[in-house]
Amino acid sequence: MKIDFKINGKPTSIDVDPAMPLLWVVRDELKLTATKFGCGMAMCGACTLHIDGEATRSCSVPVESIAGKNITTLEGLSESAENLHPIQQAWIEEQVPQCGYCQSGFMMAAAKLLEEKPNPSDDDIKNGITNICRCGTHPRIIKAIKRAAEINNQNH
Amino acid sequence: MSTEKKSFSRRKFLQRGAIVFGGTVVASYLGCSPLRRFTAQKAESMDLPAMMSSLQPDFWFEVLPDNTISLKSPKIEIGQGVFTGLAMLAAEELDVPYEQIKVEHANTKSGLIDEMNTGGSSSTASLYEPIREVAATMREMLKEAAAKKWGVKASEINTENGTLLSGNNKITYAEIAKENKNWDIPKTPKLRPKSAFKVVGKSVKRTDLKAKVMGTAKYTLDSELPDMLYAVLLQSPYLDGTIKTLDTKEAEKSTGVVKVVREGELVAVVAKTFYAADSAFKKINVEWNTPNKVQQADLIKFVTVGNGKEVNIQKEGNAKSIIEDNKATVFKQEYRTPMAAHAQMEVNAAIAHVEADKALIIAGTQGPKIVIDTVSKALNLDKDKIEVQTPLVGGGFGRKAVKGLYVEAALISKAVGKPVKLYNSRQQEFQNSLYRPNTHHVLQAKIGQNGEIEAITHDQATPDMLKNLMGTGLPNKILGADFISAGHGASLMYNFKNKSVSVWNAEVPIPIGIWRGVGMFPNAFAIESFMNELAHQTKKDPIAFRIGLLQNDDKISVRSKKVLETLIEKSGWKTPKAEGIGRGVAIGNDRKSIAATAIELAIVEEKIVVKKVTQVLDCGISINPEGIKQQMEGATMMGIGAALYEEATVKDGQIEQAYFSQYPMVSLTDVPEIQCFILEGDDIPYGVGEPPLAPIAPAIAGAVLDLTGKAIRSLPIKLS
Ligand code: FES
Ligand code: FES
Repeated sequence: MKIDFKINGKPTSIDVDPAMPLLWVVRDELKLTATKFGCGMAMCGACTLHIDGEATRSCSVPVESIAGKNITTLEGLSESAENLHPIQQAWIEEQVPQCGYCQSGFMMAAAKLLEEKPNPSDDDIKNGITNICRCGTHPRIIKAIKRAAEINNQNH
Repeated sequence: MSTEKKSFSRRKFLQRGAIVFGGTVVASYLGCSPLRRFTAQKAESMDLPAMMSSLQPDFWFEVLPDNTISLKSPKIEIGQGVFTGLAMLAAEELDVPYEQIKVEHANTKSGLIDEMNTGGSSSTASLYEPIREVAATMREMLKEAAAKKWGVKASEINTENGTLLSGNNKITYAEIAKENKNWDIPKTPKLRPKSAFKVVGKSVKRTDLKAKVMGTAKYTLDSELPDMLYAVLLQSPYLDGTIKTLDTKEAEKSTGVVKVVREGELVAVVAKTFYAADSAFKKINVEWNTPNKVQQADLIKFVTVGNGKEVNIQKEGNAKSIIEDNKATVFKQEYRTPMAAHAQMEVNAAIAHVEADKALIIAGTQGPKIVIDTVSKALNLDKDKIEVQTPLVGGGFGRKAVKGLYVEAALISKAVGKPVKLYNSRQQEFQNSLYRPNTHHVLQAKIGQNGEIEAITHDQATPDMLKNLMGTGLPNKILGADFISAGHGASLMYNFKNKSVSVWNAEVPIPIGIWRGVGMFPNAFAIESFMNELAHQTKKDPIAFRIGLLQNDDKISVRSKKVLETLIEKSGWKTPKAEGIGRGVAIGNDRKSIAATAIELAIVEEKIVVKKVTQVLDCGISINPEGIKQQMEGATMMGIGAALYEEATVKDGQIEQAYFSQYPMVSLTDVPEIQCFILEGDDIPYGVGEPPLAPIAPAIAGAVLDLTGKAIRSLPIKLS
């Protein structure tokens, strides 16, 4: 089945099994590999991306449901390498990543959280994101989200 | 450090390593036989994992035309920040900003790979001297070349920012590397002393941050080869399960399937995409023979002090007879730690391309050498025909040391004649894996009239973790017990007059693996919980109690005492506790590092809530303090999860946890206030990644004891 959508601003059309999870379309068909596979069962958040602005676990979304929608992956979060999204800037400032594997999903979830709550409290962050990180970067993730909120506030 | 030791290290690091100028190898050394080095180092230490990973560190330095330096690392970046540490060490002697040193994994084609594994927290530490020596040698060679060109003495040349300077003369490393043709290898220059360090010891940013926040960092799953197919491998969800009946007819007809490979127990669906392979895989009908019927209760029984063979590993005075003579009055407690999974976020994965006379394997592994050995054997192909490339590794914690999917990927690739990418589902990762074994500990103490501990014994029962790591039962045969556990934390560090420690070798029908901290995790839980109970029993402050037993003047005692004194101060140990707060402490020494933790917690609605964690670590010299803190925080979070939630169990020969939902781990909601302090207690760097994890569980248990008066003796901690 042919499905049309936009990904990172680019109109895209693919012809695949409509039941194919969006994660594999993004990674294997479109070769955007920042979005990761962790469980395939909506339990870890490694595959989080945005569908029409909503943070979504793409491993559990059939591609047919995104027809006509706007997808943003980590590759499309910032305009360029020089002009990173506040979340990415804060992630570097606070030195969040260790192995880095879970971070794409965390950053996409965090970017959405900041949109909803521009000045999140610790509890907003703790209860707002349920992704898994095995390296234990959690303390820095909380700091980085608050730092990103500051960067945002300075920019506006 | 003696000069003899130095020359040994110099020989060792230039073994198969090389310095490359202008695209040509200008310095390389051949050294003594691996066997001799192995023996020499074995004699030096019983610390096998660390020893293995410091074996034969080969690397490759190259000045590139843009005046950056390429450094091919024999150590694997598993998230611990080793690339950054190595860049800093090289920068220290090369006078180049550390960011200009581009560190990448060596691949085996150039013959530059660590003989053994990356693990044991020793990656940066083991290369502390060698890498600086090669960098200094390289700097001197560049200076000699410039000296010849300018007709000055090398000693009149300064190096700065990748440039050689003398009077008005100025040339970059890249320029001189390109134009000079004859290179002399000087004697190893004297290394700069710690007092002159400009880079090492400063907190710097990891070099991999940008790639990791932009999503350009490449892991095995992100790697590709032209014309590559995808495979899904049939794996038994039962321990030791074999195929009883198999029907692949529907799978073969499924869209996009190229072939269903069946060679004995090896069954895999190969298709044009992962989705096609996975969809077809779900149409396979299989029944399993399940010869292994092990139950959780069996595991507990197998791993019990008194079963199996006892090996005494520490004996001072006559503890055993004192305990025996006072049977009726000794204070005796038993502790248990559970089986656990690694649950690293990146599942095991491999890409293989096998051709008639060569093979390429791409695999995120902690042990490239093991990949070569096992693939060579499986394909019956010479080892030097196998190239291994290691992308970044999405977490290992010991799981990526052995038993990846590279052998299977290679066999499948051979069967279909194309490159193949293979990875586990999360369920396969959980159920067809290697596990941290459960352990059992018995501790006994004879408490004197005055509250003094007159004698103490520790008996640990544990399966053999080395079996899978070495692929042989050899260590067991030599030493009679699991000396990984024995060498990591089973011994008693305190100055008891009479002490005795034994390890009981348990056999379990479970595939056992190394898990972050190895033996230190279970041993610290048991010993330090017992220490907390002894302090409680004798009405002493648990830190003062420990300090009282660290009065000897050996290095470990002196450093441990200082770590605890720092912990008292930094954690506010002596300040009044808030209402409803319990405080606990624990300390451990491993990899020559000493880590101590103080915990404050509350119990809210029957649930433990860790409020504050203070970590003090003495890891010798610190190379990148911020990187060390990152590791300490990570270890803290993993330690909290291991203390409160994590447990793998077996039922009817099957690991019961197949999904993340069945294997709870820490999440953002568990984050306490964490403070990390680093002490420098020695002149060389020691391990960082593992030591701070082990004290967390016993410190939490100690805080529960403090708050409720109830002792916790098994993990994960359950309050009711
Ligand atoms: S891969 Fe989608 S939530 Fe884990
Ligand atoms: S950084 Fe490794 S899993 Fe999160």
